[in-house]
Amino acid sequence: MLQRKICMLGAFSVGKTSLVRRFVESAFSDTYLTTVGVKIDKKSVAIGERTLDLILWDIAGEDEVSTIRTSYLRGTAGYLLVADGTRPVTLDVACSLRERVTGLLGELPFVLLLNKCDLVDDWRVPAERVATLRQAEWPVATSSAKTGEGVEQAFRELADRLLDAKAPMSSPPQAP
Amino acid sequence: MGASGRTLGWLLNESASDTGVDRDALARALIELTREAEREKAASAAAAAQDPRLDQLRRLLLGHEIATLSRLRERIDDPELFADAVSRALPSAIAQASARDQRLGEVLAPTLASATQSSIRKDPRTLVNIIYPVIVPAIRRSITETIDATFESLNRTLAWSLSWRGLKWRLEAWRTGVPFAQVVLRHTLVYRVEHVFLIHRHTGLLIAQATAQDAAGQDPQLVSSMLVAIQDFVRDSFASGQDDALDSLRHGELLLWCEQGPAASLVAVIRGTPPESLHTVLNDTLMRIHAERGQALADFDGDSAPFADVSAQLAECVRLRQLSPHGRRRRRRPWLAGLLLLAVLGVATDAWRQARHEAGLWSNYVERLRGEPGIVVASAGKTTDGWQLSGLRDPLAADPDELLRLSGLDPARVHASWQPYQALNPSLVLQRLQALLAPPPTAGLAVDGDRIVASGEASAAWLQKARDIGRTLPAGTPQLELAAVRDLDDGELGRLRRDIEAKAVLFDFGEVIPGGAFDATLDEVAEGIRQLAELSARLGVVPRVTITGHSDSTGRSSANLSVSVARAEVVRALLIKRGVGPETVTVRGAGPLEPLNREESEAERSLNRRVSFRVAIDE
Repeated sequence: MLQRKICMLGAFSVGKTSLVRRFVESAFSDTYLTTVGVKIDKKSVAIGERTLDLILWDIAGEDEVSTIRTSYLRGTAGYLLVADGTRPVTLDVACSLRERVTGLLGELPFVLLLNKCDLVDDWRVPAERVATLRQAEWPVATSSAKTGEGVEQAFRELADRLLDAKAPMSSPPQAP
Repeated sequence: MGASGRTLGWLLNESASDTGVDRDALARALIELTREAEREKAASAAAAAQDPRLDQLRRLLLGHEIATLSRLRERIDDPELFADAVSRALPSAIAQASARDQRLGEVLAPTLASATQSSIRKDPRTLVNIIYPVIVPAIRRSITETIDATFESLNRTLAWSLSWRGLKWRLEAWRTGVPFAQVVLRHTLVYRVEHVFLIHRHTGLLIAQATAQDAAGQDPQLVSSMLVAIQDFVRDSFASGQDDALDSLRHGELLLWCEQGPAASLVAVIRGTPPESLHTVLNDTLMRIHAERGQALADFDGDSAPFADVSAQLAECVRLRQLSPHGRRRRRRPWLAGLLLLAVLGVATDAWRQARHEAGLWSNYVERLRGEPGIVVASAGKTTDGWQLSGLRDPLAADPDELLRLSGLDPARVHASWQPYQALNPSLVLQRLQALLAPPPTAGLAVDGDRIVASGEASAAWLQKARDIGRTLPAGTPQLELAAVRDLDDGELGRLRRDIEAKAVLFDFGEVIPGGAFDATLDEVAEGIRQLAELSARLGVVPRVTITGHSDSTGRSSANLSVSVARAEVVRALLIKRGVGPETVTVRGAGPLEPLNREESEAERSLNRRVSFRVAIDE
């Protein structure tokens, strides 16, 4: 059994939950997200002959009022940043989240997902911004929870990056 | 010449280890020097030393070495470079030093000690994590056992004090010397470990798990992560300490126990009420896993392949389950208890029946005694080991001891005391009279109502005796009635007697032998006596025939007396000759003293000269 802990981070209502609903094995209802602040799902990705189980910690979104619980980030091997293509502010949130995570855990493999790409007319994130990010070596992808476009690829990309990177720091002397 | 020869040789022959010394220049310098040295041998040595050509020679010969030396010095002087060099050599140097002897260890010991101290002081948790697998089981066990004794005792005591089962278990506890709490536990606990998860604390990833055969559950990977998330949630929400962790969760019948280790936690999902000792089992398993796989746990990155065998250890925990009280043990109990109860009942019934039986026998016996004429029961009752009896007993009455033997009771357990008295019951009076009167076989005594009636026939003598005795009987005694008794004499016996007594045998004057005319009489008498004897024998009486000889009054009395005796004797002999038993007849002479008549004529005198017979019937 090969496993990695993955966190799904993003602003409030960027579509994280809908994103994963179709693609993951779920055991817990969405109410966990609002009560405990996290919902655990599993995504199995085939790597060669073996299967990598991505244990997805779908962490409740961040907004002005509440910040994400950083204790949930402990031990994460990588993360998925989700932003809403129709709301540029969510991209800012995603960037700040990334900074926070890097500050806490160091450089970790991640993938930035620009969601709701099916809403072409409402797309607000300028292409230059995306280009800038890509230049900064950010793995950026677009996806749509509604159509399912780009989701599988995003997970696979993250899985590849995970296996390439070092294993997550385990059992540090001071727990974060 | 040796050294210089070698140098010359080296000069002349190029070799592989040539380090680029300018040979030509060196050769020229050498040759010059040699020429000069011979010429200026006497010159001061200092001048020779200061000769720049020597310097040049030195440089040429030793340039390579000088360069090496300066490089080495540079390296030594620069601490960074030196450290780098030493660090490369240090591990193998230490290894070799330790292999060689103990000195390195001894030398390092104080340094290491102070280093450890300062490390611990800086971060004590390191030390805690190190000794955790070793020290925790001991502490937990002792604490658990103490708490066991106290809390459980209290809890269970309160819960079970007043129930019937509780009382029964209290009895069992007292009897077996086991604490009451343990007894209750033994009887009430039913639990089952359904799942065991080994969860990596840092990431929340599942390392290994074991599930009971028929237990349902969600995906264990998701469950274990969620558990960790909940723990974080609680910690964050309620501001508990960083090192605090979930201990146990209860949800209805389900109980979640979390044992925390430094790198991994063990979560057990239990259904029912487990004993506190299960904590110890889970803890020991966790400690063992840490002890065996500490490093692997620390390095865990999500690949659970190295932990395949840990599942077996977890499976051990899952197999734990308490025997249901409704299982074997309960089933055996009523069986055994029933048997025991039956046995006790049997014994009790038996004893009771025995007692009742004996009581029945006793009352029967006493009733029997009371009904017996001549026995008066004054008191009859039960003593501690048997019975007692006291009363009056007529010696002629039935023997109480004999009756006791027949009653079926154990004679040894009956204490009886009898006082003698004379009962006036007719039956006993009868017995008494029978003993007293000794009636002849021809007569009998019987009870008729409240009188004793004699019947049959008896001799007059007996009748007289009976009458006399009858009169002496005390007042209140049943009367003796003799009216029905016929005198023996009235019967055949009497007739025979009268016949014999009627006979007379006459004699002539002065004669002692009777005349032939009386042969027939004598025959008749003999026959009569024989019949009499026969009949008497049958009747049980003894006849006695007295032959009395008589004479008339003529002559002297003495002569008459002897004649009369002789006459009687002769008749006797004649009778005996005729078959009469000699003991039946006796002889007497009466002389002239018992005449039949007044002798006023010869005829009367001849009648007086006779033998008479008298028959007496004796008993």
